[in-house]
Amino acid sequence: MAERYVTDEEISAWVDGELGPADRARVQAWLQTHPDDAARASRWAADRDALRVLLGPAADEPVPEALRAAVMRPSVPPRWALAAAAAGLLVAGAVAGGAAVWQWQQQRGAHLEAAATAGWVQRAVFAHSVYVPEPRHAVEVKAQEEHLARWLTRRIEVPVKLFDLSAQGFELVGGRLLPDGAGKSAQLMYQDAQGLRVTVYLRKPEPGAETAFRYEQQGELGMFYWVESGAGYALVGALPRATLLTLAQAIYRQHPGALPPEGTPPPAPPAGKG
Amino acid sequence: MDAPAAFRQQLLESIPRLRRYARSLNFDVSRADDLTQQVLERALSRWQQFDAQREMSVWLLSIAHNAHLDTLRREARMSVTDPAEMQSAQDAAGGDPGTDVGLRIDLLSALARLVPEQREPLLLVCVEQLSYAEVAQVMNIPVGTVMSRVCRARAALRRFLDVGAAAAPTLRRVV
Repeated sequence: MAERYVTDEEISAWVDGELGPADRARVQAWLQTHPDDAARASRWAADRDALRVLLGPAADEPVPEALRAAVMRPSVPPRWALAAAAAGLLVAGAVAGGAAVWQWQQQRGAHLEAAATAGWVQRAVFAHSVYVPEPRHAVEVKAQEEHLARWLTRRIEVPVKLFDLSAQGFELVGGRLLPDGAGKSAQLMYQDAQGLRVTVYLRKPEPGAETAFRYEQQGELGMFYWVESGAGYALVGALPRATLLTLAQAIYRQHPGALPPEGTPPPAPPAGKG
Repeated sequence: MDAPAAFRQQLLESIPRLRRYARSLNFDVSRADDLTQQVLERALSRWQQFDAQREMSVWLLSIAHNAHLDTLRREARMSVTDPAEMQSAQDAAGGDPGTDVGLRIDLLSALARLVPEQREPLLLVCVEQLSYAEVAQVMNIPVGTVMSRVCRARAALRRFLDVGAAAAPTLRRVV
C-alpha cells in the first residue's frame, strides 16, 4: 500500500491526541520512518509542556477576595433586605446592570466615638477562641436536645433562635451559657464539612446600644456584630469577610421578628444612630 | 431574579481556572483579574441562559474569549510586546525561581508575538487542555479552523523561539 503523505496539521492534531484510531496509526507509522517530522512533533509536545509549566501556576494561587465577593454579592434586593434597609442597616450602593447593589452600611464617622471594640464583642471573640478548639466539649448542650433554644432564651432574656445555616454549609453543633460582664450570654457553635467552626454570640444589649452592622478583624478571626430587635449578635470565625457576610445575612434574615407578613409596613428605623 | 447558590458555588470553583486563562492572555496580573471579574459579572447576569447540562468551564471560557476580544478592539493594541515590558510583567507575575529566567522570557515573548487568533487556540489546547471541539465552541469557529490555527501557532512559536535563541544576546541583556 502506498504511503499517504502526512500533513503538518495531522502531526499537530496527533500531538494533541485529536486523531481517530486509523489516522493515529497512519501518522505514527509515518513518524517512525521520518525522523525530521518526528523531531518536530517532539519539539511541539515539549513546547506544550513548557507553556503548561509557565502559565499553569496561576490556577494554584489563592483567589483574591474581590473576585470571590463579585460572585457572592446579591444583585437584586430580596425581601429581607428591604426590611433591613428600612431598619437603617443597608444602603443602596452603586447600580450594577440596572439593579441596585445592597451593601451593609459602612462605619460612619459618629462611631469613631466608640473607638475601642465594644466589651461584649471582645468577650464573644474570647469565648470563640476558648471553645472552638475543643474536640469533645465544644458545646454544653448538643443541637439535638430540644430544650436548647428555650433554655438559653430564658437565661439571657432575649429570644434565641437556632438559625439554620445549612444553605451555607454549616451545621449546628450546639450551644452554651456564658457569663457576659454582669449578665449572661449564649454561644451557638456551627461547623462545616471540613470541621471549620463559627460561633454566634447572643446577649441582651444595653438600652440605647448602637445598632449599626459592623465588621472587624483580629488576627485570623473576622467578626460581624450588630443589635436588632432587642438582641445583640456577634458572629465570629476564621473565614474571609465575604463568607462571614453571607452567614451574617443568613442569621439576620432569620432573627425573631424578621420577615414581616405581606402588606405590613416596614418597621420604623431605631432611635439614635443606625 | 438572583443567581441561585449552586450556580454561584460552581462559579466560585471556576475562578482559579479563569484567572489562569486570563493571565495567559494578559501577562499583567491586575489586567488579568479585571478580565476575570468582567467574566464573572457577565456570567452572573446571564445565569438563566446557562444550560446546566453544559460544561460551565467551556461556557465561561467563551465569555472570556469575547470579553477579551472586546478589550482588544477597544484598545486597538498590537499583539507584539517589547522584551522590556515582558521582563517587568514576568517579574510582577513571579514564577518558579528555579526555572531559567532567559528561557521564560523567550517563551513569553514568543507567545506575545503570536496574533490573537493563533495564540488563543494554542493556549486553550495546551494550557486549558480543551478538545478541538471545545475550542471551536469557545471561539465560535469550525473545528477545522481550530486545527489549522493550532498548527500554525505552534510552528510560529517554534520559529520565534529558534530565532530568539539565535538572537540570545539581545534578549539576555534585558534581564
